[in-house]
Amino acid sequence: MGAFIDARTVPSGTVVHADLAIVGGGPAGISLALALANTKLKVVLLESGGMAFDAKTQSLYDGSKVGAPYVTLEASRLRYLGGSSNHWGGWCRPLDAVDFEERAWMPYSGWPITKADLDRHFVKAHELCEAGTLYYDGAAKITGSIGQPLALGTGGLMTRWFQFSKMRSSVLPTHFGERYASDLKKVSRLAVYLWANVTRLGLNPSGTYVRQLDVATLDGKKFKVRAKACVLAAGGIEVARLLLASNDVIKTGAGNSHDMVGRFFADHPVPRDNAVLVLFGGEPAPFYLGNQTTHGAILRAGLFPSEHFRREHEVMASSITVEGKVELDALGKAAVATTANALGVDASSASFHSLGCGMEITPDPDRRLTLTNERDALGMPKLKLHMRLADQDFAKYRLTLKELGRQLLESRIGMLKLNLRTRDEWYASLDWGNHHMGTTRMSVDPKKGVVDANLKVHGVANLYVAGSSVFPTYGAANPTVNLLALVLRLADHLKEELP
Amino acid sequence: MKTVSRRQTLWLGGSAAVLVAGGVGGRLLLRKRYAPTPYDDLIALAHDRDAAAQIGETVLAEVDDFEPIAMAVRLRARIAGRPLATALTDDVAKGHLVEGGGWVLPEMLGLICALAAKAAG
Ligand SMILES: Cc1cc2nc3c(=O)[nH]c(=O)nc-3n(C[C@H](O)[C@H](O)[C@H](O)COP(=O)(O)OP(=O)(O)OC[C@H]3O[C@@H](n4cnc5c(N)ncnc54)[C@H](O)[C@@H]3O)c2cc1C
Repeated sequence: MGAFIDARTVPSGTVVHADLAIVGGGPAGISLALALANTKLKVVLLESGGMAFDAKTQSLYDGSKVGAPYVTLEASRLRYLGGSSNHWGGWCRPLDAVDFEERAWMPYSGWPITKADLDRHFVKAHELCEAGTLYYDGAAKITGSIGQPLALGTGGLMTRWFQFSKMRSSVLPTHFGERYASDLKKVSRLAVYLWANVTRLGLNPSGTYVRQLDVATLDGKKFKVRAKACVLAAGGIEVARLLLASNDVIKTGAGNSHDMVGRFFADHPVPRDNAVLVLFGGEPAPFYLGNQTTHGAILRAGLFPSEHFRREHEVMASSITVEGKVELDALGKAAVATTANALGVDASSASFHSLGCGMEITPDPDRRLTLTNERDALGMPKLKLHMRLADQDFAKYRLTLKELGRQLLESRIGMLKLNLRTRDEWYASLDWGNHHMGTTRMSVDPKKGVVDANLKVHGVANLYVAGSSVFPTYGAANPTVNLLALVLRLADHLKEELP
Repeated sequence: MKTVSRRQTLWLGGSAAVLVAGGVGGRLLLRKRYAPTPYDDLIALAHDRDAAAQIGETVLAEVDDFEPIAMAVRLRARIAGRPLATALTDDVAKGHLVEGGGWVLPEMLGLICALAAKAAG
């Protein structure tokens, strides 16, 4: 029988021994522990929080930010078992094969693995998210009774699909901590320590091996964990902090000989109300406007640039969603009436909806996390986020929207108004996906990344990272199901590597 | 209280009728008259000239060096006698678009609207 242990009851000075230590009990850490359940490995999972929100623990996430507008570091994640899945939206979608490629037009692009390396893990990753059968691009075949996709004709954008984690009353959607606590307890060689904060990775003198993890509780207990291997699964921001703050052996931080840790921070900007979609014939099918349940799956359609369009126009990935109804001003009414008439179509029952979007951004080494002199309650240095956004990323997304406008006109089903143009207008509309990516990016070259293709930290023999911080580029897909596929691949690797 | 005679009532009623008729007729009479232009044939393709002019103003803010007469010649050549809807969709298929106040418009339609704006002065 596995154990849930309150770290505050562990006497200071204790040394816990294990084959594998997992730092963090969010979707990544929990899924890794479950994937290793049927092995002989003795696994310890160290989770900073308990089973529910605790303000003092949450404030360990405090940090600062400068530059472009962004969410505060403590608000965009949650620090207790289940991590940020305790307030995630449940949107799922695998990345596309093109997202993994090196593309001349996207600096720093190219993963050291392909989509095919992950494909076999998506069924299980989906199962962990309780998101039903994988339909995605085949969803049009099962949604015919609900409605028809927009007849956009040929062109750059097409209808594609999100799927959702199962919604239920007490856990909306899958809260990994609450949902999997009982499964974790069934894993015989697993010990889950709650209220256990890892504060330092103790490296050997040459910095090539993690000898121990320092663990502290907010009530003053301190103990150590010695494991053959460690996996950092503390989320896309905190993993970088742990590496940077473990700087007693290598002055720049563990695994940071090439000053790559914390760089390339990314998220998906979500510019709200960025356009108005006019459909001359009336309302779009309901699956564009909200989730629809059919065939055991929860689905929502969006509009995505095709791979061909992305390559031809060198644009980033994006996922456009149809949002609430809007009213047109006098110019809008004139534009719709004049255009519909000129195209010879009736617009008397036209519908008008606002568009939202999740945007990919260009990788940027200077959009980064650094340590500050400020310390948290456990004495760990706090982080500062240097946020930057390239005007070109908005310009490229605008080009994608304009292509949607072109397709609507060519197919004579509607038209589009672009609402945002200047940087100030984009910034004023910005919301965020809270998808923290990039800060320990994957690369075969230690000078260009923090982890290798097996998610092992370059230069540190027994240290791995699990989570979206390893994404070198970001696509427009929600990260969790993708990071879980990576976690399952890592589990296979660890089964082979660890005796 | 001053009473209103039957004769006055009839008169008032009649004048009300005249006023109502005047309302309709007045709208016709008072309708904005545009000075004729050498490109009225193109402007006539827009179903509401005032609406077209309103859009055209925003299109003019986006395009440089708009010279109406030369533009009209080019537009006639591009339309080439086809029905407007056909000409526009063919044009849009080639990616010919213009923005007006954020609205993504078929370029030829936007330019016709710009002519209407020029004509409106
Ligand atoms: C508002 C919001 C909405 C979202 N919606 C979606 C969505 O719809 N779809 C999607 O795919 N993704 C969504 N996400 C992102 C999603 O929540 C993350 O991708 C996911 O939670 C990442 O899992 P993780 O295990 O890598 O990290 P986390 O969930 O961040 O978990 C990290 C865990 O590590 C623990 N920890 C941190 N530091 C330490 C330490 N020093 N010692 C020990 N433990 C530590 C934390 O307490 C936490 O439990 C959303 C996020 C937010 C905030």
